[in-house]
Amino acid sequence: MSNSLTLAPAPRSEAAEQVRAEVREFLAAELAAGTFRTHVDTWLSGVDPEFSKKLGERGWLGMTWPKKYGGHERSAMERYAVTEELLAAGAPVAAHWIADRQSGPNLLTYGTEKQRQEILPRIVAGECYFVIGMSEPDSGSDLASIRTKATRNGDGDWVVNGAKVWTSNAHHSHYGIVLVRTSPSDSANRHAGMSQLLIDLSLPGITINPIRILDGGHHFNEVVFDDVVVPGDMLLGEEGNGWHQVTAELAFERSGPERFLSTYPLVAEFGRRVAETGDPAQLAVLGRLSARVLALRQMSLRIAAALDRGELPNIPAALVKDVGTTFEADVIEEIRKVVDVTPSLDSPDPLARALAEAQLHQPGFTLRGGTNEILRGIVARGLGLR
Amino acid sequence: MATDQDLVVETVRDILGSHEPFVLTADRRWDEGLWTALAEAGLTGVGLPEEAGGSGGELADAVAIVRTLAAGAAAVPVAEQLLVAGPALVAADLELPSPEQATTFAIADSVTVHPVDDGDGPGRFTLSGTVPDVPWAGAASSVVVLAPAPAGLEGSVLALVDVSSLPATDAFNLAGEPRGTLVLDQVGAIGALLTPAQADEVRARYALARAVQLAAALEQVLAWTVQYAGERHQFGRPLGKFQAIQMELAEMAGEVTAVTALTDAATQALDRAENVVLAAAAAKVRAGAAVEVVARLAHQVHGAIGFTQEHKLHHLTRRLWSWRDEAGSELVWSRVLASGLLADGPDGLWPALTRVG
Repeated sequence: MSNSLTLAPAPRSEAAEQVRAEVREFLAAELAAGTFRTHVDTWLSGVDPEFSKKLGERGWLGMTWPKKYGGHERSAMERYAVTEELLAAGAPVAAHWIADRQSGPNLLTYGTEKQRQEILPRIVAGECYFVIGMSEPDSGSDLASIRTKATRNGDGDWVVNGAKVWTSNAHHSHYGIVLVRTSPSDSANRHAGMSQLLIDLSLPGITINPIRILDGGHHFNEVVFDDVVVPGDMLLGEEGNGWHQVTAELAFERSGPERFLSTYPLVAEFGRRVAETGDPAQLAVLGRLSARVLALRQMSLRIAAALDRGELPNIPAALVKDVGTTFEADVIEEIRKVVDVTPSLDSPDPLARALAEAQLHQPGFTLRGGTNEILRGIVARGLGLR
Repeated sequence: MATDQDLVVETVRDILGSHEPFVLTADRRWDEGLWTALAEAGLTGVGLPEEAGGSGGELADAVAIVRTLAAGAAAVPVAEQLLVAGPALVAADLELPSPEQATTFAIADSVTVHPVDDGDGPGRFTLSGTVPDVPWAGAASSVVVLAPAPAGLEGSVLALVDVSSLPATDAFNLAGEPRGTLVLDQVGAIGALLTPAQADEVRARYALARAVQLAAALEQVLAWTVQYAGERHQFGRPLGKFQAIQMELAEMAGEVTAVTALTDAATQALDRAENVVLAAAAAKVRAGAAVEVVARLAHQVHGAIGFTQEHKLHHLTRRLWSWRDEAGSELVWSRVLASGLLADGPDGLWPALTRVG
């Protein structure tokens, strides 16, 4: 295809297959020991700091980062293998997920030496968690309309006022990377005047209010900043460059296996059922779903390989997220058409539980990280239409 | 830098371009002139070893040729010859017909095969029965058939049948490509006994050949549609500036990208001879599933003109609707895929998925 959506196939990585086997062995032992139970959508809902620390001890966090910050200097393909094994097993990875996926790379690109040395080794150890402060009550995907404001006071510190929403697991997290206005909004250039601040969430003036989702779970929050004084040296990157920084960050946010594996534990449970029944209609659905998983893996692996080459493939990443999150939601409908199971969070039947969890989490898949309509707009740009 | 493969593609494009493009003549059913031009350029033997009479080259070269011809809606049995019949004969140690003669492939499940013992050694059979859905029936001079093994033997027989003097019934797929039935009555053939696993691989090759064609046609349909949306003005601006149209084109692009990625992976699996059946099954299923979205939205964006014979769009959309059901439908291959992925037991699904690709 002669457009900007195509990436070269990923080379095979023996190192990735080796670490995959190690993770599988680890997960089997943890499951056998009962330290976790498989769930759907665990990168949002599976907060378990002990588990995150174990992953840190195994060297499976900050995998691609420089050794001088505690990282392991491994390839994006190896990291990919680790993350998808964790997701496929429905392991509790939410505590560290954002820090490892996004905030760490963000600090590596834009952070000061002091910020990096102070924070990155703690992320690698599985002991420091982050939230993304992008959306606001009146700004969903329209990030350029944010109003949270930071102004310099006489000491050169930032005084932050405003509110961020959908901040996943803010109540368990240590820092937020928060997009703020540092200059008044300019209708001629909507993307100007924004900056990113690295904010310690224990600072006075920060209130974290829970926003519960459909299953009653508390993952999202509203984080309110009321005259919060943020030290002047906690600016991330360049003042006024916030929009560019956020856009670049999104390639990490949008391309990973978490964008198509959120409901994989339901597929796995369905697979167990099909193995038992041998039902031809169920087999056909499992085959169709599997073909979609395989295609998404290939697409996502191509992005991991591009990251290894030092590229930031924003447009293909938007496309993977669009196709992937649509799949995550479709899984539910495809499966329920061929099984006679009533979804229930309390059911003794694991398939009924997985269906219930997936259904109640489903509306989020195609919203978080940019709605699919926004993503398709980005893809359309890649097709040369905008 | 131009690679050899780019050169091969360029040569095929040149031939397609200097030839009267098939896409403008809806009623032509087999493009003998194009075949001759391709054969004279040695392109009908690419990917088949020179010592067997082929033109040499890699599987990737053969795939590139098939893709280019599929995107050009070329009515020639190149996919069958380069990706199925030829390699199956080579793998079974059977002699290749001259690559200049068109050889096609068909599954012959209801044909009865008898071994012939006339003192000339093994590998000689007689075949009786009907072979339905023979691609390019009436156009190809030989057909490689995959038939059940003679009574008492396990596996299948891969046989090369000279059909140049046999009548074929006229039947066509939705795109007007010949898909006739051959009646075999004690027809002699050279063949080889394949194990069930070898026979499964031949079927998988056939499915992958169609998946490769589907991928190329899907990409071309997307490209045509994007181009049309940029050129066609409505309400004072190009269609492509309307957000609703952009959403549809982006959805098409997602499907096409998924198919391309998976078909490429399956081709590599075939090249490495690893997990061929499951990789091909997945590619065929995924490509078939994309057809619904891509063909529907392509016609929607093209409007009424795309629904007419005078516009080129139908030359590919009708092929998409045909090819997705040929060489085993999505239903058939999705069951093969699921059964194969569960072969290691109820907890083996994920490890199997990562093994296949």
